[in-house]
Amino acid sequence: MKKYVVDKLAQYVIVLAIVSVIIFVMVRLNPTDPVSVIVGGKQTTAETVANIRAEFNLDKTYFEQYLIWIKGIFQGDFGTSFQYRQNVTSLIMKRLPVTVGLVLLSSVIALVLSVPLGIITALKQNTPLDTGLSVIQLILVACPPFLTSILMILLITIFTPGVSFTGSFTNFNEYMQRILYPSIALAFSMIALTSRVTKTSMIEQLNSNYTLVAKSKGLSMRQRVLNHCLKNSLIPVITIFGTQMGVLIVGTVLVENVFSLAGLGSILIDGVKSCDYPIVQGIVMLLVFVFITISMLLDMLYAVIDPRIRAKSGK
Amino acid sequence: MDNSKKEKIKSFFTGPVIVSAVVLLLIILASVFAGIIAKYDPNEVDISNILSGPTMQHFLGTDKAGRDIFSRILFGGRMTLLSALGVILISVIIGVPVGIFSGYYGGWTDKMLMRISDIILAFPSLLLAFVFVSAFGRGIINAVVALGIVYVPMLAKLTRSLVMVEKNKVYVEASKSIGYSDLNIMFKQILPNCVSTLLVQLTLDIGYAILDLASMSFLGLGVQPPTSDWGAMLDEGRIVITISPLASLAPGMMIILTVVALNIFGDGVRAYLDPQQRKLPSLKKFKKLVGEEM
Repeated sequence: MKKYVVDKLAQYVIVLAIVSVIIFVMVRLNPTDPVSVIVGGKQTTAETVANIRAEFNLDKTYFEQYLIWIKGIFQGDFGTSFQYRQNVTSLIMKRLPVTVGLVLLSSVIALVLSVPLGIITALKQNTPLDTGLSVIQLILVACPPFLTSILMILLITIFTPGVSFTGSFTNFNEYMQRILYPSIALAFSMIALTSRVTKTSMIEQLNSNYTLVAKSKGLSMRQRVLNHCLKNSLIPVITIFGTQMGVLIVGTVLVENVFSLAGLGSILIDGVKSCDYPIVQGIVMLLVFVFITISMLLDMLYAVIDPRIRAKSGK
Repeated sequence: MDNSKKEKIKSFFTGPVIVSAVVLLLIILASVFAGIIAKYDPNEVDISNILSGPTMQHFLGTDKAGRDIFSRILFGGRMTLLSALGVILISVIIGVPVGIFSGYYGGWTDKMLMRISDIILAFPSLLLAFVFVSAFGRGIINAVVALGIVYVPMLAKLTRSLVMVEKNKVYVEASKSIGYSDLNIMFKQILPNCVSTLLVQLTLDIGYAILDLASMSFLGLGVQPPTSDWGAMLDEGRIVITISPLASLAPGMMIILTVVALNIFGDGVRAYLDPQQRKLPSLKKFKKLVGEEM
């Protein structure tokens, strides 16, 4: 187990380092001159241009700029945004609650709904209920999160006109109100996939030999499913949840766009459109970091759950 | 023999597969002949007639600039399908050779190529596409190239696993003993045996490409005005969603319809090729897991 953890951690650090280089180089491939983004079309003298270049470290070599960026990240400083002339870290911190709230709430909604749904469809195989739910799943998988959001807004405005669900918030109640609907919209595409995987792996477990033994010992269906099959069938679900995390993180960008929420997505897309490197590299790095960290933790989690995985890579 | 083959072909044409095939055919025909079917220029602005509901002249009504929604759906469909095909084409051109080399030679080549794939997979897919767009600028071509590259690792890993199974078979050994070159064995002997499985995956991938491209266009990073695809139409229509829902619902329904049809059709072909796989989840994200197991 110890070797497994060390191997995983080493891999994790290397991937993070390479990813940081890729992000750094990519955002600088754009031919737009950063100074023109900073001054925003105003007339400038050569002296101001030189001052700005010095202020934003643009007069240093790319290698030095990279080191400054990485050093800053370790100190919690993502540099200064070109457009807003503000520290990227404070911009991120201000918008983090929305993004984190969306990811957490939609994961919870998705898990709470999809696991029972998967179990039910596995138990009621080939009944009208199963067929009906499968059709809904098929449609949900094909439904991008922004479309679900638009439909949701349409439904809210039709059925409960006057409810405010977009814009800024001042207290916790309002905050929950703002992120509830987008989270539901975001959770929908997750539910389709996760419940499908739960169903497949549940059926596999139900048909396995140990379930047959449990049945012949006289355990009830309920005991077999909850005490025996559930734990085993959740391993693929954890995997799919880990890979889906990436989809979810990008999904917040789309959903907050529709609901006009002030999260990380809107300034990221804005930064991409206007070549604001510090914002783009900072936010992308942060999101990739979160994504890789979750994947790594999940890898370790199922090494804990399933000794076979540990044994395979521990040699 | 002849009869059993007929039976097998018959088993392919189940209800859902026929329906999805017909739907796909209609969508493809509609976008190919968009110029003939559409009564209006999709970009023709008519300020005197904005946001009209469905009328006799405008089958699906007009959008916020008075453009005919039905014509825009047709031309937008052409744009959407072409760009999705572009994404798949790019991922095939890079991904399949990478997978073949990786699987056939193994060892050092394999390790290096798979490490690169892992790095690309470390990014949530659309996020990497955003970074690409910030490097090379907005526009549909850049979005297509970006997504094409993002799709490479999945396809390369699938091809690799198929080749690793094939390369141990007798016909490969025979080809080697006759003295065929490695290139000949890889592309002329092994590849044809993998094509059917790859085609199924590509059918499903077109669906994902449509969804991802729609997301990019929706955010304004893909297709640029006045040209439009279904994703961009959704974005244009959402501001007026309460006044004229059709402006964004129509392209939305088209996206869902196309992707659902592609998924059903792909699943049908898969079931026909390999009845044992019928119960497996067919989704790309699950491929990653399966790819590692193989």
